[in-house]
Amino acid sequence: MLSKLLAHPAFESPTKRLAMKYFAVALVLFGAQLLFGLLAAIQFLWPDFLFNLLDFSINRMVHINAMVVWMLYAMIGSVYYLLPDETGHEAAGLKLGELVFWILTLAVAVVVLVYLFVQVGPGKDSTIWLITEGREYIEAPRWADIGIVAVVLVFYYNVLGAYLKAERKTGIMTVLVADLLALAGLYLAGMFYTDNISMDQYYWWWVIHLWVEATWEVFVGAIAAWALIKIVGAKRRIVEMWLWIEVLMLFGSGILGLGHHYFWIGTPEYWWEIGALFSSLEPVPLVAMFVHVLYDWGKEQGRTQALENRSAIRNAPAMAWVSINAFGNFLGAGIWGFFHTLPQVNIYTHGTQFTAAHGHLAFFGAYAAILIAMMYLAIQGAAGIRIMRMTALSKWSIALLVFGIMGMTVALTIMGYEQTLVERAELGGGWQAYFTAQNLPWYVQAQGWRLAMGVVTFIGFVLLFVDLLTIGNRQHEERQHEMEPAPAAA
Amino acid sequence: MIIQKCTDVSCDNIFAWLNQGPLTLTITLHLIILVPMVWIYLQEKRKLQHRPPEES
Amino acid sequence: MSQHDPSVWSSTSFWRRSAAWVTGFSAILLIFLTFDTMSQIQMGSDEDLKTGKVRRVPAPTVINHAIEYKMSRKRGHEVPVIGEEQPFFGKIWSPEDARALLHKGKVTVQAKNCMDCHTLLGNGAYYAPDLTKAWLDPAWQKGGLMQTLTRTHSTEEAMAKFLMDPPKYATHTRRMPNLGITRDEAVAIVAFLKHMSAIDTNGFPRNFSKPHQGEVTYAK
Repeated sequence: MLSKLLAHPAFESPTKRLAMKYFAVALVLFGAQLLFGLLAAIQFLWPDFLFNLLDFSINRMVHINAMVVWMLYAMIGSVYYLLPDETGHEAAGLKLGELVFWILTLAVAVVVLVYLFVQVGPGKDSTIWLITEGREYIEAPRWADIGIVAVVLVFYYNVLGAYLKAERKTGIMTVLVADLLALAGLYLAGMFYTDNISMDQYYWWWVIHLWVEATWEVFVGAIAAWALIKIVGAKRRIVEMWLWIEVLMLFGSGILGLGHHYFWIGTPEYWWEIGALFSSLEPVPLVAMFVHVLYDWGKEQGRTQALENRSAIRNAPAMAWVSINAFGNFLGAGIWGFFHTLPQVNIYTHGTQFTAAHGHLAFFGAYAAILIAMMYLAIQGAAGIRIMRMTALSKWSIALLVFGIMGMTVALTIMGYEQTLVERAELGGGWQAYFTAQNLPWYVQAQGWRLAMGVVTFIGFVLLFVDLLTIGNRQHEERQHEMEPAPAAA
Repeated sequence: MIIQKCTDVSCDNIFAWLNQGPLTLTITLHLIILVPMVWIYLQEKRKLQHRPPEES
Repeated sequence: MSQHDPSVWSSTSFWRRSAAWVTGFSAILLIFLTFDTMSQIQMGSDEDLKTGKVRRVPAPTVINHAIEYKMSRKRGHEVPVIGEEQPFFGKIWSPEDARALLHKGKVTVQAKNCMDCHTLLGNGAYYAPDLTKAWLDPAWQKGGLMQTLTRTHSTEEAMAKFLMDPPKYATHTRRMPNLGITRDEAVAIVAFLKHMSAIDTNGFPRNFSKPHQGEVTYAK
């Protein structure tokens, strides 16, 4: 099993062992996400590549679905991992949790196989139920939706059970339990059909926006708070106070910030104002989160330096990824989001590669980074390593992933600018305008750079993959070596 | 201009009515959300003042 | 001094209560807004079309009418203008038939996964043109490139013929694949596209297919 390879399974806790399984699948799906992204990027440059065999729509669908699913897997893994520490109890229905893991993984495999080999169906209701729902990000057919709801209910039962049994209810767990309920409940908004495309998209955004710009962000806040306690020994009182401030600001701006998706889908004009001004505040909590990470790091570093003359960081790769998360979230979700959130700008940028630029950096900075940090923390726990150091691979994977994603983001931003100016502002956004803009040198060159940077990202991922598989065992053995002469010294 | 007449398809609803030009709707909503926090603040302040100071 | 002037700003309980209030109230506000928006984006009735009552999302029978996209002085942007009765695929569709056709069209658009190449109302993937106002695009009108290529004499026939075998009528190296769309499905998709073009999108896309300075040519 891949989960065994991930680390030396030194856990006493069965809940943590279950967490490792989720991380293992997440990592595989992460790889699939990048591979299919590369295929789609190649098709932008050479449209004949895999034409009529594995068309762009299919590659793109697998690309974004694999991303959503790997992140959900890693999120479930993260919660299972911290659950015993935070509540002092194991998951309430562990056997059920185990069973559901296999059901979910089997279902994901079936859905992907159907995506790849059946691809599209006839224009009948049965296609929506069995093959694809054809709605970006939540293409999974209805049967899978129902399965996902069942799986999430079991997961939530496990978490809630442990939370209710806990003698001391920590702020982190309280936020997580409330947030996960909202996160799971929102999925239901994407599980119905209507002929009215405006209504369809209205509720579609409830899932997409209220996930990634509200409940997922709060989830990241809670996980980052926990990680800071683990990595640098941040004080719980301070971390949890910050967490509530973040919840206040994230939900305060994020829930009504939903309005920035309601500018042009047939909804009333008052959404211009609500969407513009609430979503303009969305970067504020992201700045706060960034400041918060640096503050706690600096504070604990100063303290341990003075008292024990050592670094405060107990897991260097995880700390690096938490920092990348803090800054990447602010840059990708905050800055790149604010770029095009005002309706005066958005009327020209809506539906251009601008959105893709924002999407790439935001998903990486806000979610991928913190989930990778959690994987390193979990491996540290699994291998029983007291202080986890960076390996050469950890460093190279960080460098290549960050460089690759930033490169793709910049390339996509250039495409977005070009589309905005030429296709939208100048030529009026029609069929001819679209193709004119797609064939201009700025656009084509940027597509080339995006593919090159995609390859860099993929190499970075391969290094990350190898590092995650080996770092646990390697540092575990090193520690055994260090400990052998210990009795003599004592 | 601070106030501008609603020009939307339908103007007979509370939100369109509040939306009299740029900012009016959002200023109202932000106020409704933020003002009660003053009350929460004062209440918490009173609670803290009546509690003996913690050692440490 | 500190004894009687404690700081509320560093009190967890203050932030917790504020977070609960702001989150709860925002959620309630969103629900109210949703009720109002839903009433405004409900599909209109055939009656509304006849009496000229403007709806954000018109009845399916809008497919029996000519549709234009014109600048509105009052609104400050372009709005769809629903005009005279105009047969769609050579006939006037009854409200029931139009509803059934729109349903088939929407289901097909989902079943063929249009949204993972195209954008609908600006949402989707960016590999192919936006379909929001595709029905009104000059390329599909009389004298437009696509009617010439498909050798048809109406927008709906051109679109339907194209959809059934897109690679045959490809105009660029980036082609739309053959998705096995039948004639019935193609007719339904065109109905869906025509209906979508009549939705009031607050002026998106702006200056649709109306270049400011006439045709601009760029070096390839």
